[in-house]
Amino acid sequence: MDNASYVTLTRMSGLNREMQVIAHNVANSGTSGFRREGLIFSEFVRGGEGHEPSISMALGNTRQTSDLQGALAQTGGAFDMAIEGEGYFQVETAAGPRLTRAGSFTPNEAGELVNMDGHRLLDAGGAAIFVPPDAGQIAMSRDGTLSSDGLPFAQVGLVRPADPVTLSRAAGTLFEVEGDIEPVEAPVILQGFLEESNVNPVMELARMIEVQRAYEQGQRLLDREDERIKNVIQTLGR
Amino acid sequence: MKSLHIAATGMSAQQMRVDTIANNLANMSTTGYNARRADFADLHYQQFARAGAISAQDGTVLPTGVQLGLGVRPSSVSMQVEQGASGYTGGDLDLAIEGRGFLEVVLPDGQPAYTRDGALHRTGDGLIVNAEGFEVVPGITIPDDARALSINAEGEVYAYFAGQVEPQLLGQISLVGFSNEKGLEAMGSNLFLESAASGPPVVGAPGTDGLGTLRQGYLEESSVDAVREMTDLIKAQRGYELNSKIITAADQMLAATTQVR
Repeated sequence: MDNASYVTLTRMSGLNREMQVIAHNVANSGTSGFRREGLIFSEFVRGGEGHEPSISMALGNTRQTSDLQGALAQTGGAFDMAIEGEGYFQVETAAGPRLTRAGSFTPNEAGELVNMDGHRLLDAGGAAIFVPPDAGQIAMSRDGTLSSDGLPFAQVGLVRPADPVTLSRAAGTLFEVEGDIEPVEAPVILQGFLEESNVNPVMELARMIEVQRAYEQGQRLLDREDERIKNVIQTLGR
Repeated sequence: MKSLHIAATGMSAQQMRVDTIANNLANMSTTGYNARRADFADLHYQQFARAGAISAQDGTVLPTGVQLGLGVRPSSVSMQVEQGASGYTGGDLDLAIEGRGFLEVVLPDGQPAYTRDGALHRTGDGLIVNAEGFEVVPGITIPDDARALSINAEGEVYAYFAGQVEPQLLGQISLVGFSNEKGLEAMGSNLFLESAASGPPVVGAPGTDGLGTLRQGYLEESSVDAVREMTDLIKAQRGYELNSKIITAADQMLAATTQVR
């Protein structure tokens, strides 16, 4: 095979990768707190040596996490929280603190607020939040202050990475930050709501069709190339 | 083609959501039933290109790298602890709990179980039991000759007798609270069992320690919100279809691959 086939091959393997990203987005269209993932293709240039022309290959090597606000669905749960605007909840896992937008929490057997995987939710000071066992109705103000019978007992902390590029994904709708994190100045948290996945099904489906057709185009190009080489061999070998 | 498997995890997640909705709608008129909700979380990520890897001959560094997700998994099906509406029945042994808390009953094997279903009955001997016939703690017996029964908000059971002006106190029904009610293990028949996640039961009189109060003559209706279930059903069904479209597209891409010769 020559370069034409290899260039097409990079395109096709990139599209295959993108299809996987779309499938992952669609599979998580019902996951609360999920943020859409996008793949960005870039040109990979190999400089030509001497009189050879340079070749550029397509590489899907960077990704983008969508920051769009997801729709807020009303659930009515006292410990269901949705972030409006920027920021992430901070939870404590065995591997260190992680960020998440999924705001479905519940007190555990010890009375500490945990998410559905059992990771503790951290307050503005980085400590676990303890819900008093004799607390009646729990109310939360828009800045994340939790109170029971008019007495505030904790404030849910919202943080964001100092550099958004350092944000990478972990399983369980969690994000890992390699750099510094800083508190959000004016946090807005709504009680009794959950942020739905910010995946837009129409966009994903449109992109899926595009990817599929582009893949088929690549396949046809490979076909033609194969035919061309066959013709060359037949003509020259005569 | 991983897309096939990823879309399959999406389909099974939506299937589970429909199952949960079906169970909620089936229990629309179950006394003391709390709606369940299926929550999901994304699966693990494959690292394809690490952030910071060199991407070109001139030393360009990747700012973000590529992480490819592998689909979705159910993270929990949790009970939505919500107060259901109180429906008037007029029965003297019908109790609605207003606020937090559960009634405690004793299973035939002696183990405690907890319920919000306050449709109580009496046995031939006058013992107060739940609809399944399990004794309600603390085991109050109503005398045969009691003319009427009154249960106040604090759970005190009074009996009126012919010829007596003052009612007689028979006992006090207690309530049980848990730090994590969602962690209770449902065993069917409106009953729950203590689990490691729920925390130990805290017994108290109704109206104390954040526990709710009792209301005689009412039953707590199911807290299932039909409108919410129907909108969720639409979302789940469309989500299922979307995932099946991905499977079709991935399949056609595979077919295109085999056509390359």
